[in-house]
Amino acid sequence: MNDVQVSEIQYTPRELLACVAARLIKDGESVFVGTGLPLVGALLAHKLYAPNMMAIYECGAVDPEPRVLPWSVSGSWTYHKAPVILSMTSVFGHSRAGYADVGFLGGAQIDMYGNINATVIGDYEHPRVRLTGSGGANDIASLCQRVIFMGLHLPERFPERCDYVTTPGYLDGPGARERTGLPGGGPWRVISHLGVMGFDEATCRMKLISCHPGVTPEVIQQFTGFELLVSDDVVETPKPTVEELRVLREEVDPCQLFVF
Amino acid sequence: MSHANERLFDHALAREAKLKKSRAEKDKRMTLQDAVAEFVQDGDSIIETGFAYVRGPMAAFWEIGRQKKKDLVGIFTPGGMNTAWHEFGGMEGCHVAYVGVEMRGLISPFRRGVEAGTLKVYSDWSHGGLALSLLAAEKGLDYVACRSMLGTDIMNTNPYIKLAEDPFTGDPVCLVPAIYPDVAIIHVHHADRYGNGRIWGPAVNDTSICVAAHKVIVTCERIVDTLDIRANPYQVIVPHYTVDAVCEVPYGAYPGDMPGMYYFDRRLQERVVRVEWKTAESTREWYEKYILGTRDHFEMIQLIAEDEGMNVIEYLKRLEQLACDAAYCGIGSWGIGGERDWKYEEVAKRAI
Repeated sequence: MNDVQVSEIQYTPRELLACVAARLIKDGESVFVGTGLPLVGALLAHKLYAPNMMAIYECGAVDPEPRVLPWSVSGSWTYHKAPVILSMTSVFGHSRAGYADVGFLGGAQIDMYGNINATVIGDYEHPRVRLTGSGGANDIASLCQRVIFMGLHLPERFPERCDYVTTPGYLDGPGARERTGLPGGGPWRVISHLGVMGFDEATCRMKLISCHPGVTPEVIQQFTGFELLVSDDVVETPKPTVEELRVLREEVDPCQLFVF
Repeated sequence: MSHANERLFDHALAREAKLKKSRAEKDKRMTLQDAVAEFVQDGDSIIETGFAYVRGPMAAFWEIGRQKKKDLVGIFTPGGMNTAWHEFGGMEGCHVAYVGVEMRGLISPFRRGVEAGTLKVYSDWSHGGLALSLLAAEKGLDYVACRSMLGTDIMNTNPYIKLAEDPFTGDPVCLVPAIYPDVAIIHVHHADRYGNGRIWGPAVNDTSICVAAHKVIVTCERIVDTLDIRANPYQVIVPHYTVDAVCEVPYGAYPGDMPGMYYFDRRLQERVVRVEWKTAESTREWYEKYILGTRDHFEMIQLIAEDEGMNVIEYLKRLEQLACDAAYCGIGSWGIGGERDWKYEEVAKRAI
C-alpha cells in the first residue's frame, strides 16, 4: 500500500467513497457483493488490500478473479475465472450457513437503525416513485454477518423512517433482530460521500465515526434527516492515496463507467 | 378461466399439468413463432429465467410482443427489458423481486406503469425468497422456512408469505410456498431435440423453474445430437421431460449476455432503457420500429446492426472472448480460445 496522500490531486466524491469502502475489507474475508457502488468498492479492495478475499455474487458465482468493472452482478465479466458457479439458492444458503462475512449494499434510503428502502418512495399502494425492489439485498442483509451500506448523503436518503423497509437493519432498535429471528449481525458501516458512520452499541442508532476531508459533523447533520449520534473521537477520513486512485482509474473503472 | 394468481400456488393443478405431459423422447422442435403461439396464452403467468440480461430468452420475449399476447402476469426475479410489455398492453400485473438495470437505474416503463396504477404489483419478494419458493416446487416441498424477509415491509405487503414459529426451536421463520408459474421460457447454449438443455455459466434458478412451471419452452443457440448430451450430461440444467417445445434461435439472448458466446450489448441496452424508453410515446415508437416492424429476431438484429453501422454480433462475440478466455475453453463447437493477441485493456475501455 502506498501511504502517500494526495491533496493536490482532484478526486470525486464517488472515488473517495470507493476507496473508503475498499479499506474496510480485510484480506481473506468473504464478501457478498451487491450491485452499484459496492461492485466498485469490492473490486478495488480485491486489487489493493484483500487479494485473498472471496467475492460472492447472487447469480451463483463465487471467488472470481476480477478484471475491470462489470456492468452487472451477473454476466461473464463478473465471474471471470470463478472456480465455483452454483445457483441463487446455494449462495444465499451458504450465507445463512455462515460463509459470508461481509454484505455490501446500496439502496435509495437508509434510516437511523440502518434499515434500507429499495422498493418505493411514498405510499406502497400508490408510490410516488417505484424503485427496483429488493433483489438480493434483503437476503444479504438478513444472512451475512456484517453489512456495509454505500450511498450518497442527502436528507431524503437518510430519513428518520424509511418509506418502506425492504432490507433489515436493526429494525426498531436493540434486540429487534434477535427477536425477529434474523441470523446475521446487522449493519456495521455506512459510507456516504460526506463521512463514515457506524452504529451505537447501546441504542443501535447510526453514529458518525469519521468526516471526509473538508466536511464537519454539523454539515453531515444538516444532510441527515434524523439526529445523528456523534462519536467522541470523530476523525478525518484519510484522502485517497495516489495508488488507490491509480488502481481505481486504470484497473477497476478505466472507462469511468461509475466513479465520476 | 381463473386468474393467473389463483393458479400460482396450486399444487394439485401443477401436478395435474405434469401428469399429462409425455415422458417419451419425442421430437419437440418447432419454430419460435409456433411455440409462443401454442404455449403462451393470454392471461398466463410467465417467469424470467437466466439473470435478467444474462441468458434471458430475449428473442422469445420479443416474439410474445409481436404476437400481442395479453394480460400476462410477470414474475420478475430479476426482471429486465420485458418489464415494458404492459406499456403495449401485454401485461397486467407482476410479482417482483427486482426490476431494474442495476447501476444504470430503473426501467422507466415499469416505473411509469406502477406509479400510474396500470401495472399492478401483486407481491414483492427478495431474490432469495422467490428462489426458495421455486426450489420448493422443484424439490416437492409444500413450502420452505427461511430467515429472509423477516422484520421488513415485504412480510407486511406480500400476501403469499407467512410468519410462523419454528416448531423445533421456537424461533420466528418466514414460510415461502412452492410457486408454479404457467409458462417458463429458458434460453440455453445447446439442446437436443427432446429438450435436454445444456448451459455454461450460472444456472441461477433455471432447473427449479423448469420443474415448477406448467409449460416450458426451450430456446437454444444450437440443436445438438442427443448423443452429445448423453456423453456429457454434467452441464444439463433442463431435463427433457419438463419441456414442451425446443426452438433453435441463435443469438436468442441478444441484446443480453450469453456466457462463453457473446457479451451483452451494453450500448444498445443503455440507450434503450435510458433514452428511447424515457416516455410512453418514445417507447411506443421504439416498439413499433423494432418489434412490430420486424418479422423475427434476426430481422431485428439486422435493423439494429444497420442503425449502429456495425456487425453487433461479431463485436459482442469478440468482447465475450476477452471476458472468458480460459473460463469456458471447451465450449462446444465455438472453441473459445484461439487468437489471444487482443489488447484487452484497449477493447475493455470501449466495451464496458
